[in-house]
Amino acid sequence: MDPFEVEGDSRKSNKPKYSKFTQQELPACKPLLTPGIVVSAFSLIGILFVPIGLASLSASQEIVELIDRYDTSCVPMTDKVGFIQNSKTDKTCTRTLTVPKQMKSPIYVYYQIGDFYQNHRRYVKSRSDKQLRYKEAAGLTKNCEPEGNSADGAPIIPCGLIAWSLFNDTYTISVNKKAIEVNKKGIAWQSDKNNKFGSDVYPSNFQKGNIIGGAKLNESIPLSEQEDLIVWMRTAALPTFRKLYGRIEADIMANDQLTVVIQNNYNTYSFGGSKVLVLSTTSWIGGKNNFIGVAYLTIGGLCLFLAVGFIVLYMFKPRALGDPSYLSWNRDILD
Amino acid sequence: MAEDHHGSSRHMSASQKDLGDEDARVVRVGDAERTSERLEYAGNAVRTAKYSPLTFLPRNLFEQFHRLAYVYFLVIAVLNQLPQLAVFGRGASVMPLAFVLIVTAVKDAYEDWRRHRSDRAENGRLAAVLSPGEGAGAQFRPTEWKHVRVGDVLRIVSNESLPADMVLLATSEPTGVAYVQTLNLDGESNLKTRYAKQETLSTPPDQLTGAVIRCERPNRNVYGFQANLELEGESRRIPLGPSNIVLRGCELKNTAWAVGVVVYAGRETKAMLNNAGAPKKRSRLETHMNRETLFLSAILVVLCALVAALSGVWLRTHEEELELAQFFHKRDYLSKDKDGNYNYYGIAAQIVFIFLMAVIVFQIMIPISLYISMELVRLGQAYFMIRDTRLYDESSNTRFQCRALNINEDLGQVKCVFSDKTGTLTQNKMEFRCASIDGIDYSDITRQQPVEGDRIWAPNISVNTDSELVKLIRDGGDTYQGRHTREFFLALATCNTIVPMITDGADPKKKVIDYQGESPDEQALVSAAAAYGFVLVERTSGHIVIDVLGEKQRYEVLGLHEFDSDRKRMSVIIGCPDKTVMLFVKGADSSMFGVIDKTINSDLVQATEKHLHSYSSLGLRTLVIGMRELSQAEFQEWQMAYEKASTALLGRGNLLRGVAANIERNLRLLGASGIEDKLQDGVPEAIEKLRQAGIKVWVLTGDKQETAISIGYSCKLLTREMTQIVINSHSRDSCTKSLDDAISMVDKFQSFSTDSQARVPLALIIDGNSLVYIFDTDREEKLFEVAIACDVVLCCRVAPLQKAGIVDLIKKRTSDMTLAIGDGANDVSMIQMADVGIGISGQEGRQAVMASDFAMGQFRFLVPLLLVHGHWNYQRMGYMILYNFYRNATFVFMLFWYVLYTGFTLTTAITEWSSVLYSVIYTAVPTIVVAILDKDLGRRTLLKYPQLYGAGQCEENYNLRLFIFIMMDSVWQSLAIFFIPYLAYRKSVIDGASLGDLWTLSVVILVNIHLAMDVIRWNWITHAAIWGSIVATWICVMIIDSIPIMPGFWAIYKVMGTGLFWALLLAVTVAGMIPHFAAKAFKEYFTPSDIQIAREMEKWQDTHDVTHPEVQMSTVVRV
Repeated sequence: MDPFEVEGDSRKSNKPKYSKFTQQELPACKPLLTPGIVVSAFSLIGILFVPIGLASLSASQEIVELIDRYDTSCVPMTDKVGFIQNSKTDKTCTRTLTVPKQMKSPIYVYYQIGDFYQNHRRYVKSRSDKQLRYKEAAGLTKNCEPEGNSADGAPIIPCGLIAWSLFNDTYTISVNKKAIEVNKKGIAWQSDKNNKFGSDVYPSNFQKGNIIGGAKLNESIPLSEQEDLIVWMRTAALPTFRKLYGRIEADIMANDQLTVVIQNNYNTYSFGGSKVLVLSTTSWIGGKNNFIGVAYLTIGGLCLFLAVGFIVLYMFKPRALGDPSYLSWNRDILD
Repeated sequence: MAEDHHGSSRHMSASQKDLGDEDARVVRVGDAERTSERLEYAGNAVRTAKYSPLTFLPRNLFEQFHRLAYVYFLVIAVLNQLPQLAVFGRGASVMPLAFVLIVTAVKDAYEDWRRHRSDRAENGRLAAVLSPGEGAGAQFRPTEWKHVRVGDVLRIVSNESLPADMVLLATSEPTGVAYVQTLNLDGESNLKTRYAKQETLSTPPDQLTGAVIRCERPNRNVYGFQANLELEGESRRIPLGPSNIVLRGCELKNTAWAVGVVVYAGRETKAMLNNAGAPKKRSRLETHMNRETLFLSAILVVLCALVAALSGVWLRTHEEELELAQFFHKRDYLSKDKDGNYNYYGIAAQIVFIFLMAVIVFQIMIPISLYISMELVRLGQAYFMIRDTRLYDESSNTRFQCRALNINEDLGQVKCVFSDKTGTLTQNKMEFRCASIDGIDYSDITRQQPVEGDRIWAPNISVNTDSELVKLIRDGGDTYQGRHTREFFLALATCNTIVPMITDGADPKKKVIDYQGESPDEQALVSAAAAYGFVLVERTSGHIVIDVLGEKQRYEVLGLHEFDSDRKRMSVIIGCPDKTVMLFVKGADSSMFGVIDKTINSDLVQATEKHLHSYSSLGLRTLVIGMRELSQAEFQEWQMAYEKASTALLGRGNLLRGVAANIERNLRLLGASGIEDKLQDGVPEAIEKLRQAGIKVWVLTGDKQETAISIGYSCKLLTREMTQIVINSHSRDSCTKSLDDAISMVDKFQSFSTDSQARVPLALIIDGNSLVYIFDTDREEKLFEVAIACDVVLCCRVAPLQKAGIVDLIKKRTSDMTLAIGDGANDVSMIQMADVGIGISGQEGRQAVMASDFAMGQFRFLVPLLLVHGHWNYQRMGYMILYNFYRNATFVFMLFWYVLYTGFTLTTAITEWSSVLYSVIYTAVPTIVVAILDKDLGRRTLLKYPQLYGAGQCEENYNLRLFIFIMMDSVWQSLAIFFIPYLAYRKSVIDGASLGDLWTLSVVILVNIHLAMDVIRWNWITHAAIWGSIVATWICVMIIDSIPIMPGFWAIYKVMGTGLFWALLLAVTVAGMIPHFAAKAFKEYFTPSDIQIAREMEKWQDTHDVTHPEVQMSTVVRV
């Protein structure tokens, strides 16, 4: 303390002013966990959760999902990596599927890659968002190494591992031998197309290195229109993921024969990944997934059980709330 | 109280060495140039500011980094700058540390700016300095304070502050007296008298040039000063003492002017040397917190090691694939070197990197924001304590003061209170009650009445008089008894150091006398003498004037032996108007009976002793008064010895004591006085409450045993049913014996108490002498055993250092929180020794307050302070620390689970900005608000059931068990937050940013609802903070996702459009909260704590405060 700080006028009262705030007496409510509240909270949650669980289970059940893992069947048994790396070989592969239930339009076509760590740190960081958006930022490739600049030092657009590893299998689908269009427009987020990928940024020097990671890009189309790239660049959260390939805007009947001609270009063999083609309808819970329904039913059931459990406990060991005789010093006297 | 006060100043001066010539400071009066020629003495510019604009940054940072936690975060921020370890971007990685550092730095800078401003104002003040004049002679010219130098001669006028420590040379008073107020120095508002030496008094200041003062080196002893003055052309050295120096910061009062020479300036002044802050203490909770921080560090290391090891395994099993896997791209195909790897240094190096990166990612396991939160919370708690109207003392117009800001929560855990008696339990407003004069007891209260009749002199303290005594004085004439009685009151009026200040009262015929003095006892005695017609009306250094029954008489003060705690008495030698020389002595009975000639009248001595005993049983403070007429030879012999001693440079104090002891003997007993020191308001009730709260109250006093015991009874510390163990020994052996007896007695009672229900309460009464023996002979252990078994301990006749020793006795041997409360300089050591030191800002100055952690006006405030504020502070702080640990751990565990699904590469789905803002913005405000505002119980309940204080004493709100429980909760909640969305989104198109946003929101909602569930009192601020935080987080996430160059652009808007997002948010919240809610409901109903029951009682009794609880509890499911 400063010893010379002038002390307040001693005649003036130092008495603190009274206010509910300074005296810590603000009006407040003091909720207590009375048996009634506890039981009703648990019951309420139970009553709320069980129907939601049932609803999402039924929603999940209604979704028709066609899954076909093709990576193992579309390559020879030996030297898979050599096969896939050879750019000369014909990698066409035909798969035939039967639709179990009627699928209503729109039907989403996904590719699902297994054990591909799109969330690997090396991978996730290997991109330049500024370069994707601004023409002037073409040279900002620092984070993209070693896929940042071509051998002669020119910046690669789009740079980085993510773009470099762009998925390049293609699917041609026909229903009952009749070709059906897979609409590849509008598969990317509109926000990405409008604001994240520049409409004046064109691919250059892409996929020109010694080793090819995946698809090549048409250098005359701006990035904002390269929807496959945009979808791919939105890196998946988990090691096994799906990405939207396209939409079929027609219904497919039950027991229809689906023929898919696959150009099996993408190398998942070198790291033991898998490739799966998925056709699925959709509902409010997204894709087919029973988990959320089960989870809701479990939580709801548990809460109902706890509600009953507490009722039983409260009946067997009742205690009057706020009874001073339970205070420890009063109990000592009673004992 | 006077004796202790003097005692402590003697203790302080003991540290200073006797003045030798070689280490003396030589000051040439009026010649600052030559004074500083050889040795550079400090100038008068003061600097209380810590920093200058240039040094601010380095010094402030240096001070801040004394906190180990900050170093930890700095190391992490530095690690993050290495390219291989860059987890966060530059900005994000340094933000939390920078935020904390900047907040603290701004706070420090503001405080320092204020200090700079006051320094500038202080240094720029003007003082009149004597400057050797050209031609017209020397003149006093106004000079800025900062240019005043040692050796300058200054002239100060009335009401002016002193710019430096100066030796007085002359004053406007012909006697050389000057009055100073030391309010700024020690807070004592009474006037102190200082004297200029007769030798310099009449010399004009400019002719003193050439005189030399030799004084001791600068030291911080405010009450000591040793120097001598050598006038030019004279070989005689004039002694200078504490009464000749006036100190910087004091104000000259009631004296037109004073001239002095500067001896210490600037930072070497005593005021500045004493300007050290309160000692740093650390709260118990913070010490415990460090233990848990270590646990958390261990968890952190385990997590990091686990990730590092797993990543090693992963790399090993995938070693062959890494080269071609698109997501790893081990080789740099573009480099000239064909085998060149890109950013890959082999598995071993990778493991080390991963480990360090893991530390960076999981760093907030150690909550950085906790430190700053704690500071803010303590600030808030201090604000409420200061603003509490119930801690405001009307009589002294003082608020509660928080001087130490880091031990608020210790107030909730006190187990042992050490209290001073005088001024703490009592008011230290002394009132003369009764006297025993010449063996006759005048203590009949019924005879006493206010002073009647018209008096010219009206002392400011009115004393009731005994009518018989008044008659005896007036009409006693020349009887033996009448003469003795008059001598008794003459002694009271003369034998003191009181200065009367006379002012005109409302009635023009009356003069009001304000008796100014350092001892309240003396004020009471002089006022009593005045009431009986012996009015002290004037004091100078050489004489006093006493109005004896309407007739002014002048008495020469020939000598004065000041009070010291060895002699425990003081004496004056007075030259009476009739040319006789009298010695008056007053002092404590123990010391006085040793110097009284008992052969003169042994009946008188016996009667007086009896009266003394009865007075002290009434709780009165007693003094014995004696006198002797000195023969001319005796007087001259004394005078020579006195002069020799008082000019000695070596051992002056001892020599003077020797002279005093030599003359103070063979006294004739005049009588004894009884002075009442009234109990403060509410002391018995306060002690009773503290006792009920399970707090032991020890009283440590300098008073006699009888006085202490009677005060003990009157303040309900001692009760009739208590068994008293008295240790009161005069020798080492008897002390050992009584201690052994005490132990066997304690054992007996303890074995006895196991059989029967009612335990016999024990009280230990021990005196200072015995304590000396005990502390000397390593019997502390035994004393401790006895003391701890007793309900009450009363230590009487203890010296200041012994007080600290007693506190230390308990502090060393138990983990009990100790609190010391006192008001005087004698309590300083005790206050500093105890875990919590409280100063009473009362009558005895401010030294206790300056040394204390908290200061307040009344002892009884201890009850609301401990039982209410202490309880709240502890409960709030304990919960806040636990909550902060839980909150950050939940986040870290959640990150950890995700890392297991990223190839152990420490990717976070949550954006780095959200990671950084999590503990700083998303969740910081509610915990601070709750820790400042939440109350588990109302004030009324806490005061009604003091036993509830036990929660803090047993560490109910913060302990290892609670820590483990909350950590388990944190693991469960992190599992719910991670795995429910994980399982729902497995094999789906979900992108990292969307899932990250979901996790960010879930964890923030969950930890805030956890807090909401533990909040006890909801007011609008709490609501705003908790729900506002969730909204703020949501907004922040939206803002981050609106930046196009962030990878996760627009994710939150996309994901909020899906039903699954909302379903998952609800499921996570409910699943996460079920265990906490169920456990809380179970615990509160089936194994309720006292606090829980009290809460229920409060709820049912407090009808007007009840709202519908259902509304609140439904918040759990409201999201």
